[in-house]
Amino acid sequence: MRRARSEIVGRAVRSAVRNPGRTVLTMLGLAIGVGAFLAMVSFGTGARGSVVEQFELLGTRVVYIRTNVNRHDFQGIAKPLTDADAEALRRDAMTVERVVPRITEAYNVKSDYATFPTKVTGTTPEFVDVREWPMLMGGMFDDTDVQQRAKVAVIGTTIVRRLFGASDPVGRTITIGANLPCRIIGVLVSKGEQTTGEDMDEIVLIPETTYEAFFGMPIGYHELILQVPHLGLLETAMAEAVPIMRRTHRLSDNEKDDFRVVSPAQAVRLARFVANIFTGLLVGIATVSLLVGGIGVMNIQLVSVAERTQEIGIRSAIGASPRQILVQFLAEAVVLSFTGSVAGVALGWLASSLVARAMAWSPNLSLLTIVGAAAFGTSVGVAFGYLPARRAAQLEPIEALRHE
Amino acid sequence: MSGFSIVETQGIRKEFPNMTAPVIDDVSLTIDAGEIVALMGPSGSGKSTLLNILGCLDGPTAGTYSLGGRDVSTLSARERAWVRLHYIGFIFQSFHLISDHTVLENVTLPLYYAGVDRHERELRARELIERVGLSHRLSHRPSQLSGGEKQRVAIARAVSGQPRLLLADEPTGALDTRTGNEVMDLLLEIHQTRSLTLIIVTHDPEVAEFCHRKIFLRDGKITTARNGHAPSA
Repeated sequence: MRRARSEIVGRAVRSAVRNPGRTVLTMLGLAIGVGAFLAMVSFGTGARGSVVEQFELLGTRVVYIRTNVNRHDFQGIAKPLTDADAEALRRDAMTVERVVPRITEAYNVKSDYATFPTKVTGTTPEFVDVREWPMLMGGMFDDTDVQQRAKVAVIGTTIVRRLFGASDPVGRTITIGANLPCRIIGVLVSKGEQTTGEDMDEIVLIPETTYEAFFGMPIGYHELILQVPHLGLLETAMAEAVPIMRRTHRLSDNEKDDFRVVSPAQAVRLARFVANIFTGLLVGIATVSLLVGGIGVMNIQLVSVAERTQEIGIRSAIGASPRQILVQFLAEAVVLSFTGSVAGVALGWLASSLVARAMAWSPNLSLLTIVGAAAFGTSVGVAFGYLPARRAAQLEPIEALRHE
Repeated sequence: MSGFSIVETQGIRKEFPNMTAPVIDDVSLTIDAGEIVALMGPSGSGKSTLLNILGCLDGPTAGTYSLGGRDVSTLSARERAWVRLHYIGFIFQSFHLISDHTVLENVTLPLYYAGVDRHERELRARELIERVGLSHRLSHRPSQLSGGEKQRVAIARAVSGQPRLLLADEPTGALDTRTGNEVMDLLLEIHQTRSLTLIIVTHDPEVAEFCHRKIFLRDGKITTARNGHAPSA
């Protein structure tokens, strides 16, 4: 039985080899279908990965409370974000691990060589923790620096390049604004550009106390960054933070919030959702292209059955049973679909590697996806090959013989 | 030649849906095992249709047909295929070899469908191909052969399954006289050595002269059946 099966396949292979034109045409549809399928899955996965990665640069376990002071779209008088708010959140919000205040304004920053207009941020040492931002050189300022209003700064690599070129900035001094000289004690690792085009590395951090002493803080902090222990607690943290903020801002029940609660995790979730839709769409298109490939197999096999009507008649006259003829044509469909699918895997893999290289994604086609696509392609081809094979098996031998 | 009849039909009729008159009308005939019979008649007389029924390519609309003592008039398509495979060999005017198969592959085909294993199949086919004088053409394609050679391959294929009934539809019709005679000689020789029954549809009186008996058909009916001269073996 085993030998008989291998012989059926052998005959199908020989038939395919002896009719190269027909073979290539049949395989082409499926090869393109399977190739497109793999490429689409790979593009989708890669695109999703890079979208999510972009958002994760911002830190995902965080909630931002932003000030409404000086915002045009806020009706009414908003109270500034203060240390009292931060303290209340630290004390009363059970799901909040850290509260980090931040104020950022534009200043000129000078070194001995250059001046660079940029943004300067006053914050606390935990800023680098909530943003999950390691140091490239030196270290972050600490609580003692904050208490003592130390004139120290931690800067990003863009600032280093603009103000110091290639030389080591740690231990050197920059002047912020007119009269705040700060010693550089650390450099943050590069995070590159965000999807918005914003350069994450254009950053100057100083202790918030130092900032307040030199530049004042008439409208309070711009935001309070709240970190939660894990993503699942984000919603709870947001629900907890709002009443605490309302209390410290002494808002009555009929007053609206005079601050905004924003979470990049929501954006990440949205981005993931959009990326999933995107991937689903691509896979949908790819599936359709695979089905079209299958229909191609069917068409060519139908043409092939029509072309070979007389041959089928001869085989039938010799004594081939309808089943044997069905098996012959199905075997050809199996061989063509399988070979076509394997060629498609090669095509898809090539396309996805090229794109992955161009986009600097890591290769993301799993063995399971590849085997699955090949198996799917083969089954599609065989399923669509069944109809023509059955048609061949049901031909009347006399009619078939007479066919020229 | 021998006592028992291999083909026995009674009142066979064949009608086609879009024709008013039956193509075969009440044909009863008996052919003994080992006979050579010529089936003659003008075109449209129904000889091909009769041959198709005798060859189990088609079933009769009415009447009975018993082949080798077995009633084959009401078989399914699958059963008729089985009977063709084991009892019947066909030779056609236009050879009907499979064009992308070699000579060897064409001749082994009935044995393949009968489930004979590869080694045995090729052994038997090679022997037959040698018998028809084409050993030097084993791996040629039909397109590389002359008409006479093609018909020799077709004869080898028709008898490779060791059928008891050999049906030839104008076997020399597409060949020149000399080649035709050679093919006829081969057929007669094979008939002799394999002790099979041979029915030949032909227009050619010369071919018919080789046969033991001639059956004339006109408008689907047998008009006369008379004995020819038996060939000297």
